Amino acid sequence: MERRLRRLCLLLAMIAVMFSGHVAVAAEFSAGSASFERFAGAVDFLSDDSYEKPISEVKVSDPIEPFNRAMFAVNDKFYIWLLEPVATGYSKVLPNDIRLCIGNFFYNLGEPIRSVNCLLQGRFRDTGRTLGRFLINSIFGVFGLADPAGDEFAIAPVYANFGQTLSVWGVGDGFYLVAPLLGPSTLRDFSGTVVDGFASTTYTPWNDDTLTTTTVQAAKAVNRTSLHLGEYLDIKSMSFDSYVAFRNGYFQMRSKQYNSSNSSK
Amino acid sequence: MLALGSHVAVAASPDPTEQLRPFLEKVTATLADPGLKSKSRQAQSDQMISVIRERFDFREMSRRVIGQQWRNLSEKEQAEFERLFTQLLQYAYVGKIDDYSNQQQIRYTQQRVRDDRAEVQTLLVDRNKSIPIFYIMILRNDQWMIYDVVVEGVSLIRNYMEQFSEIQRKDGYPGLVKQLKDKVAELEKNLNKS
Repeated sequence: MERRLRRLCLLLAMIAVMFSGHVAVAAEFSAGSASFERFAGAVDFLSDDSYEKPISEVKVSDPIEPFNRAMFAVNDKFYIWLLEPVATGYSKVLPNDIRLCIGNFFYNLGEPIRSVNCLLQGRFRDTGRTLGRFLINSIFGVFGLADPAGDEFAIAPVYANFGQTLSVWGVGDGFYLVAPLLGPSTLRDFSGTVVDGFASTTYTPWNDDTLTTTTVQAAKAVNRTSLHLGEYLDIKSMSFDSYVAFRNGYFQMRSKQYNSSNSSK
Repeated sequence: MLALGSHVAVAASPDPTEQLRPFLEKVTATLADPGLKSKSRQAQSDQMISVIRERFDFREMSRRVIGQQWRNLSEKEQAEFERLFTQLLQYAYVGKIDDYSNQQQIRYTQQRVRDDRAEVQTLLVDRNKSIPIFYIMILRNDQWMIYDVVVEGVSLIRNYMEQFSEIQRKDGYPGLVKQLKDKVAELEKNLNKS
């Protein structure tokens, strides 16, 4: 009985993890986890060029579009059939404030990785900022449940990951990739995500066995989804080809994030 | 002398933020008006779009979202496209009035002006999150008119542009018009159903 339950949990968890990335993009695309406020303007909206020939600038090559479209369809169905219903139930059980705290907790655990990536990119001020955030939030924010670093000390969150580090080192995007685990990405960014993921296992306490790891990841995904219910479907309902809409949104959003990091060097 | 100089500058080109602020205040006030909620969904979105029209240049949006093809369209086609695209935005965005909460607050963070273009950067803040929203504007007879909205770095116009250009490449302009009509009908149906 117990084994069966464990198996069921594992299965649910794995499926939920699959869509975490999908939702992350939907969430950040439509509303957002906050505050990449510093903006340099990769795209200069005041210039007409960015409207007249935006396609070449924004879009990278998508040679495996049939595969990506298939993956997008799979992610889409699982999101609608599984992750959103689960997250909706979860959101009815736990109040919003608590879910925000849980989101903060997971975000805080990612700070060491962000700070290493800032270091690798030569962004020394941001390295300090992420470390400062980690220390302040871990101590005064009760293990990162609250965000006093942002609220009281006005240290805004910093965007950094290994995909970005690779890009700083001159590695090109490769091509657009809709990953079954993570949603919209590119070959380079996906590799970066994998590296960041492995790196975080060196200091997070739940990597002794697969079940625990997956459960934690699933909880993270469900929690994040619960904070952005309905957003994915809203974007889908407004678009003509949601695959293209999300691909375009992914690249526009990313160019803004990468740029805001460059501006704060 | 300095004061005089700045006065002249103001007269030459009005301040975009100063024009955007009362507009967004009016939009927020209309949304918060309890009278609005008692109307039918269709009437709500009609009323909102008429307020929005005051500072949105839907023709400029249509021209940009279609791209170079715009010049090849007849005047009638241009007018038809503008009407359809406006309806799309009306039902897709303005229809979501229920999502509005009173606790939202708009902060004006920065503005950039170059020639007859302006970008006003705002932050929509509520209890849980803050969303950067930029308004891209063009100067028309002393009035700054919005022709693009950039949310979290994603431009509405550029996103639709890529979708529309793929549709036009495959099915031409008639195909695009057909898809627009279908989408508007679908959103209109959903709006009045819920």
